[in-house]
Amino acid sequence: MKIVIIGSGPGGYVAAIRSAQLGAEVTVVEDTEVGGGCLNRGCIPTKALLASSEIYSKAKDIGQFGIELRGELVPNIANIVERKDKIVATQVKGIRSLFKSWGVVLKEGRAVLSSPSVVEVSLRDGAVEKIAADRIIISTGSRPAVIPSLPFDGETVISSTDALFVSKIPQSLLIVGAGVIGCEFACLFGGLGSDVTMVEMMDRAVSGEDAEVSELLERELKKKKIKLHTGVSVTRTEKTGDGIRAFLSDGREIAAEKILVSIGRALNSDNLGLEALGIKTGNKGQIIVNRRMETNIPGIYAIGDVTGEMLLAHVASKQGIVAAGNIMGAPDEMDYHVVPAAVFTSPEIGSVGLRERQAVERGMKIRIGRFQFRALGKAHAVGEIAGFVKIISDEMTGQILGAHIIGPHASDLIHEIAVAMKAGLTAADIAETIHAHPTLSEGIMEAAADVDGAAIHVQKKQN
Amino acid sequence: MNPEDARYHKEHTWVKVSGRKGTIGITDYAQDSLGDIVYVDLPEVDAQVEADSEISEIESTKATSSVISPVSGKIIKVNEDLAETPEIINEDPYGKGWIAVLELDNPSDAEDLMDATEYTKYIEDESK
Repeated sequence: MKIVIIGSGPGGYVAAIRSAQLGAEVTVVEDTEVGGGCLNRGCIPTKALLASSEIYSKAKDIGQFGIELRGELVPNIANIVERKDKIVATQVKGIRSLFKSWGVVLKEGRAVLSSPSVVEVSLRDGAVEKIAADRIIISTGSRPAVIPSLPFDGETVISSTDALFVSKIPQSLLIVGAGVIGCEFACLFGGLGSDVTMVEMMDRAVSGEDAEVSELLERELKKKKIKLHTGVSVTRTEKTGDGIRAFLSDGREIAAEKILVSIGRALNSDNLGLEALGIKTGNKGQIIVNRRMETNIPGIYAIGDVTGEMLLAHVASKQGIVAAGNIMGAPDEMDYHVVPAAVFTSPEIGSVGLRERQAVERGMKIRIGRFQFRALGKAHAVGEIAGFVKIISDEMTGQILGAHIIGPHASDLIHEIAVAMKAGLTAADIAETIHAHPTLSEGIMEAAADVDGAAIHVQKKQN
Repeated sequence: MNPEDARYHKEHTWVKVSGRKGTIGITDYAQDSLGDIVYVDLPEVDAQVEADSEISEIESTKATSSVISPVSGKIIKVNEDLAETPEIINEDPYGKGWIAVLELDNPSDAEDLMDATEYTKYIEDESK
């Protein structure tokens, strides 16, 4: 079985290795760098930069831990970016060596599907190579979406990708779009000392999250002096001597050294030859697939962001495993019921399953348990008390329908609930499980207990 | 203990009226129950506030709780010092720890609130 995979992001490279494990002869085509957007322009580099920003913020506040600072803390952006580049390079090397060990052939160039069984690759050296394929997996990902009236110039109007390579910490930064990416960059540059303002068309930051999570994040942003204007858009901009001036729909004007546009992602389904082969795409350009990750053309699969399902690296990876299984005779289907997601703001957000509003909209009868981290000794010990755990369960069965955590280590903590949901467990199952003390995980046990009003570290409710 | 020149709301806030202006804050009982205050979500100047509704939120090391406005009016001033040093509410809830000044819709509304004696009795009953 010869499989050609287009794109080597978290969808493509995982699909490649799984296919090879199952005995396929695999070729991966990559036109930028192995690891795709996730590794080179997304998940990993942002977390590397955030780590620098967070440690700087923490160090500035080191007095609260009883440590005296004698001298000055200076974030050196060149060194910060270099550290990030090194981390990315190590990970890239890791994937290249995984490919080698599994016998996955890597072709570096741009691919076009010339038939359901041939992929044409324009190699970097200008040569064109035709690769025969029994099956093709398209995993070309996505890129920052552009506002037509505010195109990226890489200098004053920048994308999330440009922001990873800045040579100077901007004094002021206007972020258009306070979704996941916008808020992460707000924390990143705010932490490094930029004066950050965010503008969001929706009525709240991270509008895909549970409303209570947005509310708490907005307050935490306010504490960091990050300004947020919701329900407004940028109507026009004007370049100035030292930056750019934005005019907002509410009449406000904001001047900033740079504007970072993070309004969403555009899908990479153009120029692949999809139309000629009759591969169906949707209104956003997403390649339409079934739960087996097959397109409408037999033998051609698509995974990851380009399918427009859920634009998450870990979903892409799972889709890659499912596609590989289906091709290699191990039938499998995607299940989007339990997909944890993480937002690396400060504090972090972890979520899985239904938001409260979704459950209500579906007419479900629910019970909610909540628990504030500030009621835990561990949260005080580590100096991070803001945030909470919220668990939504089905009133009839007690099964957990969703959970939302904002607070220290939320991105790691959420997985306990993901496993519980996958196993169909109830909030009581979690509440009755002994959780080690002193840990932040106690917050999950307490929130689960609170579903039945039985949390311990909560004041008695007054009538 | 609870100053005579203030009027008190059952949600443990106070207002001191002077002409058309009312200064509001939380009571000593409220700051004591909250414990160490770490953050005050200051309201915005020019915002209209209704009596019995939330005007601010206060975070302490123990809890996050709403500050309920005892009166209706337009916010004309907020205590910016609370942004950097919220703990002044713990230290001086009726003085330096004031939260906002309102231009009152109706200054006589405050007369419907509890006076110091009534409030002192009210918190004694509540803590029983």
